[in-house]
Amino acid sequence: MRRALPDLLWTLLLAVVVALAPGALKGLFHQASVSYLSLASNAMSLAVLALSWDLLARTGQLSLAHAAFYGAGGYAAAVLAKLSGVPLFLALPLGGAVAALLALGLGSVTLRLRGIYFAIATLAFAEVLKALVQELPTGIAGGAAGLNVPPLFRPHFVPGAMQRWEIAYLRNADYFYVYGGLLLLAILVSVVVQRTRLRAAFTAVRTNEAVAAVMGVRPARAKLLAFVLSSALVGMLGALEAERLGSVIPDGTFAISTTVFALVTPIFGGLYTTLGPILGAGVLSAIEETLKRTFAEGYLIGYGLVLVASVLFMPRGLVGLANRLRRRRGPPPAGGAGTEAGLAGDGEGR
Amino acid sequence: MDLTLLAQGLVSGVLAAGLYALVSVGLALAIGVIGVINFAHGEFFMVGAFLAYQLYVSLGFDPLLSLLFVAPALFVIGALIYLSSIRYVLRAPELNQMLLTFGLSIVLQNLALLIWGGDPRSISGVPYRSVGYQVAGISIGLVPLGSFVISLVLVLALYALLARSKLGRAMRAVAQNRIGASLVGLEVDRIYLVAFALSALLAGIGGVMIAVIQSPTPTVGFAFTLKAFAIVVLAGLGNIRGILWASLAVAVSESLVATLVPNGDALRNAVFFAIIFIVLIARARRTA
Repeated sequence: MRRALPDLLWTLLLAVVVALAPGALKGLFHQASVSYLSLASNAMSLAVLALSWDLLARTGQLSLAHAAFYGAGGYAAAVLAKLSGVPLFLALPLGGAVAALLALGLGSVTLRLRGIYFAIATLAFAEVLKALVQELPTGIAGGAAGLNVPPLFRPHFVPGAMQRWEIAYLRNADYFYVYGGLLLLAILVSVVVQRTRLRAAFTAVRTNEAVAAVMGVRPARAKLLAFVLSSALVGMLGALEAERLGSVIPDGTFAISTTVFALVTPIFGGLYTTLGPILGAGVLSAIEETLKRTFAEGYLIGYGLVLVASVLFMPRGLVGLANRLRRRRGPPPAGGAGTEAGLAGDGEGR
Repeated sequence: MDLTLLAQGLVSGVLAAGLYALVSVGLALAIGVIGVINFAHGEFFMVGAFLAYQLYVSLGFDPLLSLLFVAPALFVIGALIYLSSIRYVLRAPELNQMLLTFGLSIVLQNLALLIWGGDPRSISGVPYRSVGYQVAGISIGLVPLGSFVISLVLVLALYALLARSKLGRAMRAVAQNRIGASLVGLEVDRIYLVAFALSALLAGIGGVMIAVIQSPTPTVGFAFTLKAFAIVVLAGLGNIRGILWASLAVAVSESLVATLVPNGDALRNAVFFAIIFIVLIARARRTA
């Protein structure tokens, strides 16, 4: 675990930034900070999604079921809020637990599937789950119309002491903290995986399962562990997003676009790393927002072109590009960037 | 159980299988021969549909006539996309191929949204759209029947091409061993180009038919990408012949549930994907 120290220090730094950001943004931008906070929460949400997908991909499982776990978390939150008056915060662990249980079930039957077969099986699972939720009696899950979810935060307006927009600020700042907390949790999980023997186990399973088994790794266990960790994070995210958006609906909460973003972002940022998915989420969110403001209509065309260009010009993502640039400047520090790049790339060549 | 209803479900399913097979066989060509995981395949289908729609609206072309223009257009579009991007990721990991083709899919879909907007469009004015026949209490629409026949002919033509022609033999050789194929003098890159363009062409023709059968929006493509992938995987990667049977199996089950189960139409997708899921899991267990 001593190797994890630099990572943990970075994480601590990020925690400090998250803690100070809302206040700093308010001081600097006043009313505009409301939307900045919301944008930052979106980016952190994407980062959690991407990091959790990457966690699973480290064992070679290319999942197309992230929308299912995200949706399961969201619906768990909605049903919990409907049935009982427990504090809404409990929806997060509940969403995570429901998603993790589903993942345990799905993961144990898909253990033997590989590559595109695994991908299509998980996709099929997600589509069936979406249809099932939609077909459940309306009294339980609301059918095609979905359910309302009460918000996690309801700041009170104090006349005289604050301005109107400050309510929105308070609400967004509160959500920002929770998203930040979830992101930090995801980073911690990822760092633990990367800096313990789990990393070797995951990499071995991804590169060659048979050899991994001979070397004493239990592939089934490693794969299931990755599946459960990954889905628990996504389930919590789904629950949180449901509370922020205020409703769940089969077509939206189980939308395949969640799955697409979950896999596009880490590939863009750099696979099998902690930094890559986070970097990818930040950069892609910024690109999307800039494009949206520049070209109101059809801005997604530009977004698609960025993805195409990224594959052609930086096949190992942002992290791979950074490593390449660093190596070109001079010899890598011994054991540092060099091994990192080597491991980031292994197993990619099928 | 009502036998007529059962027969109706069977017939509708068989007719729908043609279009599934046509779109999937193109994707199987891309995956099997070139080895590229193409998540933009359904967008060729969508582009075909909207080109036919535009030809109908601006020039009054009958969809059958538009086929003569849409098919070559899609061949060229496919070739251009291959030359500009796909050929650079042939040996890249499949995740990179997925990201690239997702990007292409987003570009094509949003271009179409920009041009045609998000409303459903359909070629509704053709005289034969409402023509149908009654055979022993089963109704058969002329358009589904026609699309089935065209699809079947094209799929069988592709089979014949792969089995008999020099190009087809070259494609199979490249699919089996690209290095070996290039050693015996085959121009691998050009064969890939033709295979990819052909795959786009087949999807485009399917699109023309969907513009007459349904009222597609520019987002129709991705749903078909997913379904085509599922069918290709069900048939087994590289097994182009199995596509016909796989399409038949899923289309008939889908249709039977839609006709026989009350409120079954909403369950179409669930049935489709449930079959794929069960078959994949069962097959993995058997081979293990």
